[in-house]
Amino acid sequence: MLDPMMEQLLPGFVDECKEIAERITEHLIELEKAHEQSRFDDLARGLHTLKGSAATLGLSELSELAHRMEDAVLPTRGRSVALPGALTDALLKTLDTWMAHLRATTAKSALPDLRPSHKLLEAVRHAVQAVEPGKAAANNGKAAAEKEKGKAAPEKEKKTSKREREARAAQARPALAEPVAEEEAAPGEEAGSWRVRTREVVSLLHEVERLREVRLRLEERRREVERALSQLARLGILAQTAEVRALLMGVQRALSADGEEAGDIVASMEDELKAICTLPVRTVLEPLRRSVRDLCKQSGKLARLSIVGGEVSLDRRVLESLRGPLVHLVRNAVDHGLELPDVREGRGKHREGIIVVRVEQQGNMLFLEVSDDGNGLDLSLIKQAARDLSIVPGAELDAMTPAQLHQLIFRNGFSTRRTVTEVSGRGVGMDVVRIQIQALQGHIEVQSTPGQGTRFTLTLPAELGSSPVLVVRCGEHELGIPMPAVETSLLARSTELRMARTRVQLSHREQLITVQDLGALLALRQPEVPHDGQPLLVLQSQGRRIALAVDEVVGDRELVIRPLPPEVRDLAAYQGAATLARGELVLIVRPDWLSGFEKRDAALTGTRRALVVDDSLTARALHRTALEAGGYSVHTASSGRQALEQLRHSSYDVLVSDIGMDEMDGFELTLEARRRHELEAMPIILVSARDSDADRQRGASSGADGFLSKKDCASGRLIAEVQAVIARRQGVA
Amino acid sequence: MKLEPRFPDHTTQEDRELLERRAARVREKPRATEEESVLWAAEFPVGEDSYALPLDTLRAAVPLKMVTPVPLSPPHVIGILRFQGQILTAMSLSSLLGGRGWREDPAVLLVVDPGLGGRLLALDCERIPKPVPLPHALVEEARARSTGAVAEVTLPGLHQVNLLDLRRLMDRRESEKRDA
Repeated sequence: MLDPMMEQLLPGFVDECKEIAERITEHLIELEKAHEQSRFDDLARGLHTLKGSAATLGLSELSELAHRMEDAVLPTRGRSVALPGALTDALLKTLDTWMAHLRATTAKSALPDLRPSHKLLEAVRHAVQAVEPGKAAANNGKAAAEKEKGKAAPEKEKKTSKREREARAAQARPALAEPVAEEEAAPGEEAGSWRVRTREVVSLLHEVERLREVRLRLEERRREVERALSQLARLGILAQTAEVRALLMGVQRALSADGEEAGDIVASMEDELKAICTLPVRTVLEPLRRSVRDLCKQSGKLARLSIVGGEVSLDRRVLESLRGPLVHLVRNAVDHGLELPDVREGRGKHREGIIVVRVEQQGNMLFLEVSDDGNGLDLSLIKQAARDLSIVPGAELDAMTPAQLHQLIFRNGFSTRRTVTEVSGRGVGMDVVRIQIQALQGHIEVQSTPGQGTRFTLTLPAELGSSPVLVVRCGEHELGIPMPAVETSLLARSTELRMARTRVQLSHREQLITVQDLGALLALRQPEVPHDGQPLLVLQSQGRRIALAVDEVVGDRELVIRPLPPEVRDLAAYQGAATLARGELVLIVRPDWLSGFEKRDAALTGTRRALVVDDSLTARALHRTALEAGGYSVHTASSGRQALEQLRHSSYDVLVSDIGMDEMDGFELTLEARRRHELEAMPIILVSARDSDADRQRGASSGADGFLSKKDCASGRLIAEVQAVIARRQGVA
Repeated sequence: MKLEPRFPDHTTQEDRELLERRAARVREKPRATEEESVLWAAEFPVGEDSYALPLDTLRAAVPLKMVTPVPLSPPHVIGILRFQGQILTAMSLSSLLGGRGWREDPAVLLVVDPGLGGRLLALDCERIPKPVPLPHALVEEARARSTGAVAEVTLPGLHQVNLLDLRRLMDRRESEKRDA
């Protein structure tokens, strides 16, 4: 029975051992292929840690078994050849039992019997020692297998005393002097680390977000003090307010310094938390090598697992949820996808099949691809299974395209296997994979070519991974574009622009690339031909290139892209949103959306256009609601200056402007507009929070066609007024 | 027999009135009973009308600042903002209600919990709401009559408060989106 204090340590110990066991498994698989000294040393260190840690917790049986594993592997150390297959098998099997025993101890459930593992190790150790070093790699482990089948280990070996075993281990250890020394240092490291619950870390992440908001509020307070100072200065009583102003200036400086310090703390906490919350994808992918190896042994197939992009770091929770689907896909690739070596050879393929797992992160999206060069999905088998299982009516089945038939493998209960094996045939598989991926807000696609192989692509949001983003400005909006899509940036020159009938093209590196205006694509303004010196970004996505005109390139940032809230998540234009250093949110635009522009070009043609000018977000939203309901396409501006800038390049059927705006009010905007010849006849409606005759008269004298109070802008009133003023203008014309 | 209050001989008329008012207050129902029979709501104007939200759905009232507009979003979406580590959608209540007009530009965002699994939303508001007690009986009566997201509660004095059911309001928006 365990000491109660030790018992409390068990859950943490299980996690630690799981990581070590995964590392040992990876080493064993690689050492079976070829000898590598550093790997061998790490393997030995891992086994030694298992032994030592188990002993520390009073788990003597497990410590003893780990010791036996060491005994089995250490004699092969100096041989510089691959580990014998039988030894690898025995060690992997024992390691599984070791972990099962540990988990059962923690769960206080029935403990697996360790005696078969001891017997297996003894048998294989003798077999390996009997083989000459040079032939060790070629050893097929017959002796070990025979003993495993039932021959008991010699009695004298059974009774080998602990002291003898220690002595034997000591013989092997001089060569391990370095690893052991490192291992002794390890407990200190472990003592300096904690295992923390996910929800505590997540809550800490939220607290950091809140701290960032506090930092924002500090900035707001500093601006308020600044405003108070300028108001005091405007009063002109400088002498009388000198003391107060000096005090306020001190507060302003202090707030500024505090804000910067808070910003630094937030940034540093975020970096640290990122390191805590994420792990490289390879931690999930590497153990798959073991699955492939074991399945190949069972099925007589030959396969190599290749991992590309294993260094991408992801949210640990996402990684944990991906483990199951990935295991399933890789096992399926061996079991269903790859052919037997002779069949492959007959088809002109290499005897050894290849399974590739490729990981790529684009912005806040993760793309995971599991492909094999096997047989491909067998359409006739899929049809037959669908018919047998009555998944789809026969007539419908016959009319299905190959792509539609591929989708059937994701149906509940679907299996092409007639018999249930350890690996497949239960009809519990791809539907579960799909459900698990959907639970992560992702989706799975399949592509298959008969005789050439199958590829599964998993696409899912990767919330915590940070990505390089280029921040640009378009009008008053700042937007982010994922850096991997940005090929280059340049300044527009009229000599390099070609005006085609319906589009503008950029001559770039002997290619003509269509130019798109980001503002127009986002319906912020009408398309504009880039002026000399305007920044252009050459983007490439999904094989298409465009030159994107923006107003300013703000700079590149490493940002954590988070999903948008559900109310706006369906917008195809955005990947998500990220927080800039000052705390404001920036929308991240999807490069593939930007490059697929043709449909959207047509969307705005043929409708009447309105420009709404208001410094209130709500007012702009309400005017837009009313006008769009009346069939108008609406652009907005938040100030008179911005509206005049838009009117310079675009024409509108009506302008609806607020009166009370900072800098330039609605009267001034109307006067400015009327001074321009091209805007003389544009209908203008002024909207005011106050319903005063004075405002009405001033509006009329500045050239406005209509006047509405904000309370008049109830449903129908605005659109009726717009139609009335347009009709009046047309009547005049 | 009606009991007449007895006052000391030297009390003035003013003192008597004060004492009577105090007595009347004491005679009122205990406060706990009153709280049990009312629904506390946050009342605010939308244009010419008076609207209210159950107070327990209100999480915060924050200034309408630092909202990032979302181009191409539906017209009722004002933008997105950060609140306590979450990214929330700020929506125009007037637009959600079908464009009721407004008197002054909203300067406040109400952060509310519409009961969608802890997901919060922000709704704009012309003024900071004031807490009001709505008699449960009247609320239930109004809710029974209502088929939509608004229950019209008529208070004594014929003052009408439109009590919002945020969940229904959002569900309606979702179904409109699906239909579209």
